[in-house]
Amino acid sequence: MSTVPKLEIRNATKQFGSLVAVSNVSMVVQPGELRAVIGPNGAGKTTFFNLITGFFPPTSGEILLDGQTINHIPAAGRVKLGMGRTFQITEIFPELTVRENARIAVETGLGFSLRAWLNAADKKKVADASDEVMTMANLTSKADRLVGELSHGDQRSAEIAMALALKPTLLLLDEPTAGMGDEETFQVTGLIRRLHRDSKYTIVLIEHDMRVVFHLADTISVLAEGKLLAQGTPAEIAANEHVQNAYLGKAE
Amino acid sequence: MNETFLRRNLQPIVIWALLLTVPFWLPLFGGYTALAGRVLVFALAAMSFNMLLGFTGIMSFGHAAYFGLGAYGCGLFLKFVYASTPLAMLAGTLLGGIAGTLFGLLLVRRRGVYFAMVTIAFGQVCFYIAYKWDDLTGGYDGLRGFARAPIDLGLTKIDIQNNGTALYFFILLVFGVAAAAQGFVLRSPFGRTMLAIRENERRARFLGIPIEKHIWLSFSISCFFTALAGSLYALLNNFADPQGLTYVMSGNIVMITIMGGMRVFWGPLIGAVLFVALQDYVSSAWPTTWMGVVGVVFVSVVLFFPRGLMGMLQKRAGT
Amino acid sequence: MMQLVMFNVTNGLIVGAFYVLMALGLSLIINLSNVVNFAHGNFLAIGGYLAFTLTPYVGFWGALLISPLLTAIFGYFIEQLLIRHVYARNHIYSLLLTFGLGFILQDVCRVIWGPSPLPLDIPELLSLPITPDLFFITWYRVFMVGVVVVAVSGLFAFLRYTRVGIRIRAGTLDLDTVSALGVNVAALRSYNFAVGSFLAGLAGVLAAGQIGLNPNMGDDLIMPSFIAIIVGGVGSLTGTLLGGLLIGVAAALTTVFYPAGAEAVIYVIMAIVLLLRPRGLLGEEGMLS
Repeated sequence: MSTVPKLEIRNATKQFGSLVAVSNVSMVVQPGELRAVIGPNGAGKTTFFNLITGFFPPTSGEILLDGQTINHIPAAGRVKLGMGRTFQITEIFPELTVRENARIAVETGLGFSLRAWLNAADKKKVADASDEVMTMANLTSKADRLVGELSHGDQRSAEIAMALALKPTLLLLDEPTAGMGDEETFQVTGLIRRLHRDSKYTIVLIEHDMRVVFHLADTISVLAEGKLLAQGTPAEIAANEHVQNAYLGKAE
Repeated sequence: MNETFLRRNLQPIVIWALLLTVPFWLPLFGGYTALAGRVLVFALAAMSFNMLLGFTGIMSFGHAAYFGLGAYGCGLFLKFVYASTPLAMLAGTLLGGIAGTLFGLLLVRRRGVYFAMVTIAFGQVCFYIAYKWDDLTGGYDGLRGFARAPIDLGLTKIDIQNNGTALYFFILLVFGVAAAAQGFVLRSPFGRTMLAIRENERRARFLGIPIEKHIWLSFSISCFFTALAGSLYALLNNFADPQGLTYVMSGNIVMITIMGGMRVFWGPLIGAVLFVALQDYVSSAWPTTWMGVVGVVFVSVVLFFPRGLMGMLQKRAGT
Repeated sequence: MMQLVMFNVTNGLIVGAFYVLMALGLSLIINLSNVVNFAHGNFLAIGGYLAFTLTPYVGFWGALLISPLLTAIFGYFIEQLLIRHVYARNHIYSLLLTFGLGFILQDVCRVIWGPSPLPLDIPELLSLPITPDLFFITWYRVFMVGVVVVAVSGLFAFLRYTRVGIRIRAGTLDLDTVSALGVNVAALRSYNFAVGSFLAGLAGVLAAGQIGLNPNMGDDLIMPSFIAIIVGGVGSLTGTLLGGLLIGVAAALTTVFYPAGAEAVIYVIMAIVLLLRPRGLLGEEGMLS
């Protein structure tokens, strides 16, 4: 008896004119899994990611969340269904504090964003939820600093905290350690691991940094030239000849 | 009142202490109370505009339209409908606010320069109507022949008609209530979504905030407050001026906001003080070339003091 | 009646031609630099006044050539001195900057050439009517339309066939790529601003010959030019051309049947376009966001 997959992609293809960016890719992500999608530049990772988040619909194929097709649900609707995401370039509210960033996300998640005022109970709910996500992201000590003044790693943590504030059931991270030094990569990797291990989030991430991927992921999918090249545990992928030829050989 | 309370609220305390005592100290500097009334009216208009520019990050260059409609609505009501100051203000506020709300529907999907251009054009439509419909509005000469009515409180009447000090305090009261209401909106969850849109529209959209709806709402709110300021302006002058509907007036509102500091709640008030003082001084010191001098000031502010006075002070205090 | 119709239609064509000339210059600058030049009408006035000063030395024909060139050089320096400092900033600063610049230029004209209206002498031949029947259509009117047609064709040829022109067009579409290809974007924007100023200056000379000079002669043209751009669609020069002609002719035709509504019809057209086709007739979808 298998459970309903958290996320399932069936034969997804995306064409831009004559360019086939993603070609007939299928993938099943089980609840609680941490899946990494890797591939050389131009492999179609970002297009694939955009298909999942609803930036544009697939040319053919199907995308299912909790067993339901979401092909025609736009990005904002998918957020409401429990897809939280972060961006390749960190998207935050730079001139607001960490707390305000978290609070805006929490209030939106709770459906308060059109309210002119909150009663005491709701206020407490918002404050507690904001504290909770800041604690998860390890930012409590920096709550009253402007996000724009924090380090790359902390900014990324803040962005992840905002995604968490919407209480997602599936977390999609687009190159979470892009452009970071070792120490910051370590910090963000630690955060992702905690979210996966301790908070049991289902996570799909696109990543460039091989150390991060092999460290974190339960399963790895390798894309090359828009096609799914291989899929398996980190050990299997490391041993896979095709992958080594297509990707690791060149990258390392 | 402990020390932290004082320190945290130093800005509003100083501002309110100064505003409440204007009739006592302004004459010492050679000013007159009507000048202070003008400062408050411009400050309210610019603070309302700043809800958009400074807090939502949306650039209207046509706010004179709603300011002017507020003035005309108020004046027309006093002249043709009923001699009640509060009702006339309500009429002006509704006229400008509703016009802004409707225009806003056509605006929300536009951004940046395009947004600004369409707001300018809408402003010009209002100017054009006021200018052409001269049976009603007095056309080019403006709307005259109305006077602010004393405020009837049942037991007593407040004579804002002839008593300049009473008029000032009446304007100050309206200003205070409006400023408090604006502060309330900006500190609400809705107000925080305005900040979110300013800071990063894409991020806000992906949080699930319906951007267009929120921009429309904040535009509408801003227009209602601007129209309220306009209705006060009509009361202050007993006159509604079609020139007050043109983009020159819109530019002045923008300038007041920038001069004071657009990211700061009280910035436009400070800007209004600077602007009214400048206008008053320059027009008497350079009667023929005052426009050019004002232009030089505008250009200098943009190039050298883009953060405005309050913005600079806060930056200094912060670092 | 026929004469009245003819009078208004030719009037409308001429007015439309001015809208087009002004709006194209504005549009060029908006497209490449994202700056709405509020002072554009003042560049027009400067072009007119320069022609007034030059005419005694070089004649009308000389002034028609030299004055727009001087206006372009003036625009180039203004861009270098002021405008370029605000490209990277919030758009509100460029609006405010050109708004203040407009005030300054207006007073500069007033100080140099005086506040009262001045006439610009045009050659005798041009002030004659084309036929005795159509006594109100002078050769000057025909000439103006001709010059505008030549100027607009020249502009489009410039953008299509010259190196700078092609780069301007490319920059309008995708500035990052153009910059990545090694084009000096800052210089490109200066040249582009100069081209826009040239068109304003040319409009100034032509307008001065028809209605004479005064320091705020450009003010009445700036708003219809904005509307021409909005109607045509921000981002498209062809759209601007179309928008300018459309509102010019519409205003003229309205004048025939309902003179009081001539100006209103411009705003009505804008409202209809915004309602039915928010990005303008030929606007790019991307320009909205």
